[in-house]
Amino acid sequence: MQLTLEFGGGLELLCDSVKIHDVNVIPNLEADKLTMKDLLVWVRTNVIKERPEMFMKDDSVRPGVLVLVNDCDWELSGQLDTPLEEKDVVVFISTLHGG
Amino acid sequence: MSCNSSGCQSNCHKSDDQLSDSPPPPPPPLAAANNSNNLCLKCKTNSPITPGSLSGDEARFCADCFRSNIYGKFRLAVTSHAMISPSDNVLVAFSGGPSSRVALQFVHGLQDRAQKNFEASKDKSLAVFGVGVAFIDESAAYPVSSDKVDGAIQDIRSVVSNLAPPTKQLHVFPIENIYATDSSDGKDRLTKLLDAVNDATGKEDLLLHLRMLALQKVASQNGYNRLVLGSCASRIACHVLAATVKGQGYSLSADIQYVDARWEIPVVLPLHDCTSQELNLLCHLDGLKTLQPFDSPPSGINGLISSFVNILQEENPSRECTILRTAGKLTPFEFNRIPETDDCNVPLAIRRRQKRYNLKTKESISSELFCPICNGPLKNCNSLKLSSLNSCQSSRFNAACCSSCQFQILPKDPSSMENFCSLLPQQVVDRAKLGNCRLREQIQDCLLSDSEDEN
Amino acid sequence: MEGNHEKARVRLCYLCNQRRAALKRPKTLEQICRECFYEVFEEEIHQVIVKNQLFKPGERIAIGASGGKDSTVLAYVLSELNRRHNYGLDLFLLSVDEGITGYRDDSLETVKRNELQYGLPLKIVSYKDLYGWTMDEIVKTIGLKNNCTFCGVFRRQALDRGAALLKVDKLVTGHNADDIAETVLLNILRGDIARLSRCTSITTGEDGPIPRCKPFKYTYEKEIVMYAYFKRLDYFSTECIYSPNAYRGFAREFIKDLERMRPRAILDIIKSGEDFRISTSTKMPEQGICERCGYISSQKWCKACVLLEGLNKGLPKLGIGRSRGLDNNHRKDVKQINGTKNIEGKQCGSLDF
Repeated sequence: MQLTLEFGGGLELLCDSVKIHDVNVIPNLEADKLTMKDLLVWVRTNVIKERPEMFMKDDSVRPGVLVLVNDCDWELSGQLDTPLEEKDVVVFISTLHGG
Repeated sequence: MSCNSSGCQSNCHKSDDQLSDSPPPPPPPLAAANNSNNLCLKCKTNSPITPGSLSGDEARFCADCFRSNIYGKFRLAVTSHAMISPSDNVLVAFSGGPSSRVALQFVHGLQDRAQKNFEASKDKSLAVFGVGVAFIDESAAYPVSSDKVDGAIQDIRSVVSNLAPPTKQLHVFPIENIYATDSSDGKDRLTKLLDAVNDATGKEDLLLHLRMLALQKVASQNGYNRLVLGSCASRIACHVLAATVKGQGYSLSADIQYVDARWEIPVVLPLHDCTSQELNLLCHLDGLKTLQPFDSPPSGINGLISSFVNILQEENPSRECTILRTAGKLTPFEFNRIPETDDCNVPLAIRRRQKRYNLKTKESISSELFCPICNGPLKNCNSLKLSSLNSCQSSRFNAACCSSCQFQILPKDPSSMENFCSLLPQQVVDRAKLGNCRLREQIQDCLLSDSEDEN
Repeated sequence: MEGNHEKARVRLCYLCNQRRAALKRPKTLEQICRECFYEVFEEEIHQVIVKNQLFKPGERIAIGASGGKDSTVLAYVLSELNRRHNYGLDLFLLSVDEGITGYRDDSLETVKRNELQYGLPLKIVSYKDLYGWTMDEIVKTIGLKNNCTFCGVFRRQALDRGAALLKVDKLVTGHNADDIAETVLLNILRGDIARLSRCTSITTGEDGPIPRCKPFKYTYEKEIVMYAYFKRLDYFSTECIYSPNAYRGFAREFIKDLERMRPRAILDIIKSGEDFRISTSTKMPEQGICERCGYISSQKWCKACVLLEGLNKGLPKLGIGRSRGLDNNHRKDVKQINGTKNIEGKQCGSLDF
């Protein structure tokens, strides 16, 4: 599945200071669809290069990290259960960096 | 402060309060005795306690010095706030946990000493205060097997009956008895009431408020005039943060004082300055049996706060005390003192002391409005409440509550609100009515003074 | 596809009921669209400004601008509101150059772009000019311990001096609701009742040279970041290289955990902070003037001068910790904040700005 990932608010520092990542995520064979929960696990292993604890806590993003799927707050689409589709744009922004 | 260690060179132990009922102190652990430099910070004679998991300052005292230190804090709290007078009848709230276990032991220790003094005195002028114990059976609110509860109650009976005379009555009070005794469906109503609360934190807090209602009922029905709670520094520190997070900054200072007389039966917190680590250690050292049939880890906001405080404690073991110190600088309320007494049985010294702490008469007490659910003092009545006085009963009740209870306990939609109100115990409903009356008076006063201004 | 349709149907804006909702407001839990969000976000700040009478027509106002999200959004919104509601304010951007290579030089570039984008005159005051030292040089001398103490003290004074140079009446900062809630908690945790009593005031320092105010006092950090993101505002978001642990503060993390469980907790903490019963008779340190530089000080020398003296004499520990500065008055209020401890939270960045 082709997705565009964008890291902002300082999170880009965790992935070699690259803000935009065009990625191809292969969904889990057992489930036929990909959710945000799966994507987070994938991002953690494949995109995040350092200090993963700045990005995730338990199985979700760290509190204080905003997530938008196609420019819509993931709190409106079910957070971890948000289903992802081809060409979706997922944005992660940290609110935790300097004022 | 004196040291009651047998090896203490100051020879002062005879003057100190020995807890006659406590088992003999265990011998100092061998591990500590190996190192001769490693001696009790205070008496410099005995080996300090080396408990497995504890590593605070408390572990640097020997068992005897540690014990007398904790007891000293308790006694200081009792005497300096006139918590207990000879003519009092004191009810100790006993959950079975370490804090209330120590509270019971210490109150017993005080009583024991008073009894000995009484027997030794010629004129028998000083009465010995009475002590009773209350255990609130919360089976109705927790999924606990009745076997477990029965076992716990049996253990509690033996703890209480094993304390030296005078005999202490144990009151086992099912929490559903907060409803009028003639209603047989108390358990059912209580369950429904708790189920009507959606917020996990709100549910937990509501139960806490109901427990206080139950304790007050036991105390007032059985002629007690003081209620002793085992709330310790650690618990109070958590409450400080919890109240702050819930927006109860105004009422906070009412809850964290040594004395809280806004209740029918004044509540006192003699373990106010002892941490839970200290109390746990004391139970361990003295073999005080603890059991908590209704112990469940705090959930929701309360759970978040308790784990936050734990992390803080790891980083700095005195953090709880700092939190307490900050909160201690907040201005208490008028009711945070033992009400004055004209009882001439009370020794002059105590009455004098009360005079010193009691600054003003009761007038200002009556001006305070309280939330009918949590009994927290409310900050100024607002115009919203004014308009609600003419509306239906449930919305009047809603308006009488503090914003925190409104948010986390009361149902949001009017029909559930009506149902919720019908499930409340009478005392809570009465509190709301009283509040509404007072509010009406205050508004009338306001209107009067307003019209005066116009003239 | 069906699922998508379902989502689109359900998620309409709570306010206009026409456009697709784009975010859930932490304050109200309403789901609203981007356009309505801009409107309520700006309107709420306008209401805060009006209700608290933060500004008077004709005033000169400096916006403390770090290039970060809060001050960037503040600069943008304030210039919008100033135009829209005819506040009649002269707005300026005021930045402090601490002299931190790879951090402040980059963020200052952002502020310089903001100067052009929003048409607001920019003034930069530098540690080098004011004190003769850059933070880079200070860190070279004292190491990474206590450097945040220096930076915090110097920045506070630098902002006041910059504001004086601009001849402004007031300084506004981008402190948001999350910052204030965090400060309330920190002051409880460190037993600082004096700070606890004033940290929730929307305007402070009215007795000092230049009053400061916080128009974002009730604004959630989440909304500020969302606003910046949707409006594609140009802000800089790298952590100060000298305080890599700053944002790991327990308190900040705790606030975020709380927000996730109960978003209104942030406003409740601020409400508590406003409602605490603190007797006003709590002694405030007497304000005098520093004998050396003329800055307000409760001591013979102001804190910055004490620290500078230490630096210049090669005794950088001077003025750090519980020392009483250079005078021997035993005043209690000179207790220093230990900037190195984790729990003290982020000394750098938004909190002390």
